[in-house]
Amino acid sequence: MSLDPHFTIAPNGDAALDIRFAAQPGEQLSESIIALAESIESAALPAVTELVPAYQCLTVCFDPLQLPDSGTGRPDTSELEQALAVLARGPAVRQPAPPRERYLIRIPVCYDAAFAPDMQALSAHSGLTPDDIISRHTAPQYLVHMLGFTPGFLYLGGLDTRLHCPRKARPALNVPAGSVGIGGTQTGIYPQATPGGWQIIGRTPLALFQPERDFPFVARPLDRIQFVAISAEEFQHTEPGCAPQKTPLADTEAKQ
Amino acid sequence: MSLRIIKPGLQTTIQDGGRPGNLRWGLSRGGAADTFAMALGNLLLGNPPQHPCLEVAITGPEIEFSAATAVAVTGARFDLAHNDRPVGNDEVLQMRPGDRLRFGPLRSGARAYVTLAADFQLAATLDSLSTHVIAGFGGWQGRPLKAGDQIPLQHCRAVPDRKLPAQYRLDYASRPLLRVVPGLEASHFTGDAVARFYAGGFTVSPQSNRMGIRLAGEPLPAETLPQQVSAALCPGTVQVPPNGLPIISFVEGQTIGGYPRIAHVISADVHRLAQLPAGARLDFEQVEQATAHQVLREKSHLLADLPRLL
Repeated sequence: MSLDPHFTIAPNGDAALDIRFAAQPGEQLSESIIALAESIESAALPAVTELVPAYQCLTVCFDPLQLPDSGTGRPDTSELEQALAVLARGPAVRQPAPPRERYLIRIPVCYDAAFAPDMQALSAHSGLTPDDIISRHTAPQYLVHMLGFTPGFLYLGGLDTRLHCPRKARPALNVPAGSVGIGGTQTGIYPQATPGGWQIIGRTPLALFQPERDFPFVARPLDRIQFVAISAEEFQHTEPGCAPQKTPLADTEAKQ
Repeated sequence: MSLRIIKPGLQTTIQDGGRPGNLRWGLSRGGAADTFAMALGNLLLGNPPQHPCLEVAITGPEIEFSAATAVAVTGARFDLAHNDRPVGNDEVLQMRPGDRLRFGPLRSGARAYVTLAADFQLAATLDSLSTHVIAGFGGWQGRPLKAGDQIPLQHCRAVPDRKLPAQYRLDYASRPLLRVVPGLEASHFTGDAVARFYAGGFTVSPQSNRMGIRLAGEPLPAETLPQQVSAALCPGTVQVPPNGLPIISFVEGQTIGGYPRIAHVISADVHRLAQLPAGARLDFEQVEQATAHQVLREKSHLLADLPRLL
């Protein structure tokens, strides 16, 4: 099924344009947004410096000093806007190519009480036992829609609706790195120790952001994440620098 | 060859042009907060504009040099002493082995740059030496400098005595006027809210840092505004959260956000956010996109012209 890409292009400041789609956020729209990002990269448009995919929007940052001169003596974004509109209406966006080089990444999480200060609160809110919460949290293959907020933070789609839970009224001052939490309809992992308002139900021993590596991030958009429950002992014996178990998605689909 | 930190100051970090190109991974550019002031110091010493340097915030450090090297201090105005002799901003200072550069009281602005006619002998992370303070990596052990830190230097070069031309000496003492273009969600705000945003009633909150400049003052009516689906935030974006107090994204800001955007500080003025101490009053003036680009072009020409004026 193809997606009809109704979109608008509007300036996001003086050095970025937002291509915003009318379709509802979801797997299909994320596929289209990543396909559009790939076709903009292939087109190597002059002045484009960054592409930031989000749920419903692709932000295209540019260097105004490198914009072509429109003849008015001033740089002009209209040529760039036109080029982006052509690509956004293009076949890559309507009918994204089949997934390639995408992975199912299994991330170990210890849900023991020592790492799960808000498990009781979530249990009270949802009416589920901690064991039920853990089995529902580890069941899905979450879709990585985008990375953002802080380095390596994954925006994941597919949280069990029974696990939806409001953020804390008062954010915790220091959430340890690796904390796994639920905020509203989303679940995710804090890559750095920061203040945070999500309900923390576990912690991964793995580092989600390793700047010294060639590719410092654990996943890319359109990869899938599955949480795997581990014991406190396994947590202690896992090096933060370990690579998580990674399987090409094509293989997992072929087996199903 | 090294520089040794005798007193660290409030937040002295190694900075350069940062790590552009990584917004899609949640990694903001980072790097020097005032890239313009950094560029002036580097050009004065014959360096590329984004050559690694020290960024000094609010309370300056005391630094001892173990080798002969030329340095310059640009940006915020501090009382400076070379050994015990008062010296000025914006001029080449010749350091001999054992010499000290001492920062006294801050007079105007908020961040100064100690540029060096030398290289830090440090390994780059993701193509940059800049310290990402929020994410805790890069620079020197991923953190602001502490007393006793000894940063190795190499390739110390000689530079003749000279000063920045008068027209390049920046004034941070007057109340800053930040030029903005309208925000994507500006039309969601009431006319009264927009008028109050431009009326100049805000000051810089002490809770401001390299991540964001928080404003204090009479809150704008924002409780009932629709929240946006999360989208990219660039440095200079002014968001208004439900408490009505605007937050301006800065060099280490979050890369994705969802509060309505009332305005965007133009690219050419983002560096000026670095020079706003807590309590500073500030004004916003709305300009056209074309004006924003023209100002950026003029500032870029200023930097390009500087080497031949020295």
